[in-house]
Amino acid sequence: MPSRAAAERIRKAIALVNSVADEAGDEEITPTEIAEAIRDCLELPEEELAPNVRRYLGEALDAVSDGMPADFVAMTLYAALGALREGGAKAELN
Amino acid sequence: MKSAEGRGRTLDEAVDVALIELKESRRNVDVKILSETAEETIVEVSVIDPNAPDHSIPAPANGKGEIARGLVETLLKHMGIRAQVSVRTGSEPITLDISGRDLGALIGWRGETLRALQSVTNVMVGRHLDEGERIIVDVERYRQRREHTVREIAMRAARQVKMTGDAITLDAMQPFERRAIHLALEGDPDVTSSSIGEEPDRRVVVGPRKPAAE
Repeated sequence: MPSRAAAERIRKAIALVNSVADEAGDEEITPTEIAEAIRDCLELPEEELAPNVRRYLGEALDAVSDGMPADFVAMTLYAALGALREGGAKAELN
Repeated sequence: MKSAEGRGRTLDEAVDVALIELKESRRNVDVKILSETAEETIVEVSVIDPNAPDHSIPAPANGKGEIARGLVETLLKHMGIRAQVSVRTGSEPITLDISGRDLGALIGWRGETLRALQSVTNVMVGRHLDEGERIIVDVERYRQRREHTVREIAMRAARQVKMTGDAITLDAMQPFERRAIHLALEGDPDVTSSSIGEEPDRRVVVGPRKPAAE
């Protein structure tokens, strides 16, 4: 099973990025807050994050630091979420 | 666009009257409240018809919308999804409509897959877009229907706030839904909307507008 905590943390980071991209206009999200949310994901124990999930999260963090567009960061985080699910599906098969 | 006026004691009654006249179901219409008193509500109900001829300017054949449409069509083909992609005419920002059968998987849990598809599309088309310009992707008008639904929720909440004077906290919503609520209520002189909480549990609070301090 994919870690629920990991999925929740990644979804939180995605929601923050989408909030910037969609311009809800009701909160000020800074790149620092997005980076913090991604770091929260990376702080999860090793057994909860497969290496490829960790790699996508690292790429997302780099994208935030490099000032890449919100959609690029979101896409990378969705990839992490997908990899997390895929990892869970493989674990269930084994 | 086909539309009808409806009158009733409540919002639901007024909408139903207009729907009967239009012979349409609620999911295919947009509702605008013209006036609302304790005794009577008057609404204008307009039919949303994706195939209706539009008087607005269509997207140019080789414009950004067409580039995005081609890319999404190819992407869906690689995903093994059979669907039609079209550029919504007269839409600002550029909106791609995906239609077909059994596209639920493309929408995903609470629209998550649809949102991911939109992010990918914007990354792919990014270099053709101006600064700050974005492409909106909609599947079977899911996003549009959600916006209509939340606007109706906003109107109901506003009515209740006016009657009771108490603020109402709505369910957690996505940014585009919160935005739709803020926009729906921004012109109302009696109520105000704000958001509380943190993503992804951020909620809109609809409350009475306090008179400006003298």
